[in-house]
Amino acid sequence: MTVLVAYVPTPEGDAAFTAAVEEAGRRNARLVLLNTPREGAPVSAALADEDGVRDLAARARAAGVDLEVRQDAHTGDLADEVVRVADAVDASVIVIGLRRRSPVGKLIMGSTAQRILLDADRPVLAVKP
Amino acid sequence: MTSPAGGTHVPGRPGGHPAAGATPQAGPGTPPEVSTPEEFDLEEAIHQVEAEEHEGRPPAAGLLGNLVVAAAVVVLGVAAVVGSLAFDAGSARSPEAGTWPLMVSVVIVVLGLGLVVTARRTTDAERFGRTSWLVLVGLATMVVFVAVIPVIGFEIPAALLAFVWLRFLGSEGWRTSIVTSVALVVAFYLIFVGALSVPIPHLF
Amino acid sequence: MDLAPVLDGFGVVLQPTNLLYCLIGVVVGMLVGVLPGLGPAATIAILLPITIGIEPVTAVIMLAGIFYGAQYGGTITSVLLRLPGEASSVVTVFDGFALARQGRAGTALGIAAVGSFLGGTVSIVALSFVAPLVAGFALDFGPPEYTALALLGILLVATVSSGDRLKAVIAACLGLLLATVGRDGFTGAERFTFDNLSLADGLDFVPIAMGLFGLGEILYNLEERHRAVHAPATVANVWPSRKDLRQSSGAIGRGSVLGFFLGILPGGGATLASLAAYAMEKRRSKTPERFGRGAVEGVAAPESANNAAATSSFIPLLTLGIPANATMAVIYGALLIQGVSPGPQLVDQEPELFWGVVNSMYIGNILLLIMSIPLVGLFVKILRVRATILAPITVLITLIGVYTVNYDVFDIGLVVAFGALGYLMKKLGFDPGPLVLAFVLGSLLEDSLRRSLLLFDGDPTGFLTRPISGTLLVLFLVVVLLPLIRAALPRRRADARRDTKELV
Repeated sequence: MTVLVAYVPTPEGDAAFTAAVEEAGRRNARLVLLNTPREGAPVSAALADEDGVRDLAARARAAGVDLEVRQDAHTGDLADEVVRVADAVDASVIVIGLRRRSPVGKLIMGSTAQRILLDADRPVLAVKP
Repeated sequence: MTSPAGGTHVPGRPGGHPAAGATPQAGPGTPPEVSTPEEFDLEEAIHQVEAEEHEGRPPAAGLLGNLVVAAAVVVLGVAAVVGSLAFDAGSARSPEAGTWPLMVSVVIVVLGLGLVVTARRTTDAERFGRTSWLVLVGLATMVVFVAVIPVIGFEIPAALLAFVWLRFLGSEGWRTSIVTSVALVVAFYLIFVGALSVPIPHLF
Repeated sequence: MDLAPVLDGFGVVLQPTNLLYCLIGVVVGMLVGVLPGLGPAATIAILLPITIGIEPVTAVIMLAGIFYGAQYGGTITSVLLRLPGEASSVVTVFDGFALARQGRAGTALGIAAVGSFLGGTVSIVALSFVAPLVAGFALDFGPPEYTALALLGILLVATVSSGDRLKAVIAACLGLLLATVGRDGFTGAERFTFDNLSLADGLDFVPIAMGLFGLGEILYNLEERHRAVHAPATVANVWPSRKDLRQSSGAIGRGSVLGFFLGILPGGGATLASLAAYAMEKRRSKTPERFGRGAVEGVAAPESANNAAATSSFIPLLTLGIPANATMAVIYGALLIQGVSPGPQLVDQEPELFWGVVNSMYIGNILLLIMSIPLVGLFVKILRVRATILAPITVLITLIGVYTVNYDVFDIGLVVAFGALGYLMKKLGFDPGPLVLAFVLGSLLEDSLRRSLLLFDGDPTGFLTRPISGTLLVLFLVVVLLPLIRAALPRRRADARRDTKELV
């Protein structure tokens, strides 16, 4: 049993992680944390730094949850990557954080969350901070 | 200068490679390995940094590839020699139009033969591979741009070029690609046609 | 020394336009140094069209700012991300990043800024004394001296360039060949023009430089896979302590001097200087084991040296008219476009240009020192922009920009053709730098050679009868034969590894 959480160092990502830890505890499953920056630039704000990862690991440990961290960068669409990794680890649920977007924002930039919800063929847990 | 690519290769895309934030691996996030009390080896460290820079590049060409390159240089040199002889080759005492090109071409031929000799040891040429198609596409967009610009102006070819580079060569999303291409062309129009009044062929 | 032109030079620099372009230059330079991908040579090439509409002195002030500004920008990524932005910042990675890991990134950046400033300033002062001397000495140069000088310069740049020496010399020869395209000055014959009207006047420098360095680099980078991504780094307390400054003062001094001398040498340059300064500091240190683990001298020395070298590499260009590296070759081209012929007469005939440029470097260095520290955060943000977005922008700037030079679509075609050539060259291990250098010197070289041969009535040993050209020619032969001799003698290790990188 595996719970997959798509994480970014933001309040939404944090909320997703909290929910994911809880979920993994409830299901007695291992937790896979996917923190994947977009490839192409030397620096990405989406990548959690070493201290951040250490914190997350500590929180998982405190809850007695087995944590695996994946920080490979991806090319192309983030939603596709999340779905692909979910298939790869055979996740029983994908946990994502939801961010409020204005209608214009959604038009110009699309919604990764929406894509994941629609494309994934496994349950998705969408969490708000 | 191209930057070092880091981490190990994961075959096949999509999928990735360890980002430098990944803690367990000794990837580019860690300083060069130093065995504790010994002195820091400068040459080793430099080679390590250079090697990392080349990790993201295609593999080195083999012997055949190097020989082809050497042969191409020799052919180029010979062609230049022939071309130079078409002008008056003159002599050292009275140099003519062809003297200097002839001298240079001969040197090229000699050096090309030198390349043949060293072809086995050469490792700095890269193999052409799948990624080379991307370059071909990029070049094609530029060629189309030049070919088409006198006919329909720069706006459309520029937008198309930007779109192809963003969407296909850069794996950006559809929305990002379209919006950025249009924004770019508008910006170029405002700057070059509007502010600078450059007489570049333009449609609008 | 006559101080009047020097002071006039300051007057030129302090004009608002020139100050503005100096500022633009160093900011763009820092940006270019920070961003992986394009280097100062490529950026200067791409910005050549801009230089056409402004005064020569303003143009060179800006281009110079880009060059030595890039030396500093490369340091930022070296220290924070272990990613050398420029070849001359590779050595800074070792101690710089180590310091960053210890939470002392600010110290490293601060020492680098101070070292760069002092190195640059020392170099400018020395330049102010040395350059007029060299120019005066070179006024007696005749065609044989120029032939030998050009040959030696091209050979040195090709020999010390990255990668295969043989290929670099081939690239240089190709450059020489390209310079012959067009109408021959002596006889009026049309060479290699293939009956194309646009080629009759010869190949234009600007599309060649923009294509080879700009488009070529971008196309080459398309094949780069999987660059590492880093989390944003935060930098605190960006100022070195007094203890750090005192500790590195020796390194800064020695690095500056070493950098100055290595920069003058064609083929030397910032990269070689940074390496040599680091190695020297380590060797003379009483505690060499600190190096590689966060020794401030390990940051101070290379940074002082590379800025000093970047500054002094202007000397051969401004006094002899011989570019010392690929970037200088592009600046040489920029001057030619403006109708200025660099050479020994420049100091006397265009003192405003010469001293304007030299004195602008003081201002530029001060600007760098002031801005570098507050702007670090901004530059780290800029590093988040993806290369895939920058690439088409740069391509379009190049394609449309080249059109603004002659308003001729043929130039766009030319720039694309040289872009393809630049890609092939980089891919196959041929450094495009020597090609551009040889191209700009090609006409001068052929001209001088023909005049010399006429002078010596066809006898090449005539070169050896004149002391200067004789010495230079002997040096030339030594540099040519040295690798052959070394290959013949059995050595401990095969010299197959390259330990200097692209100079620009």
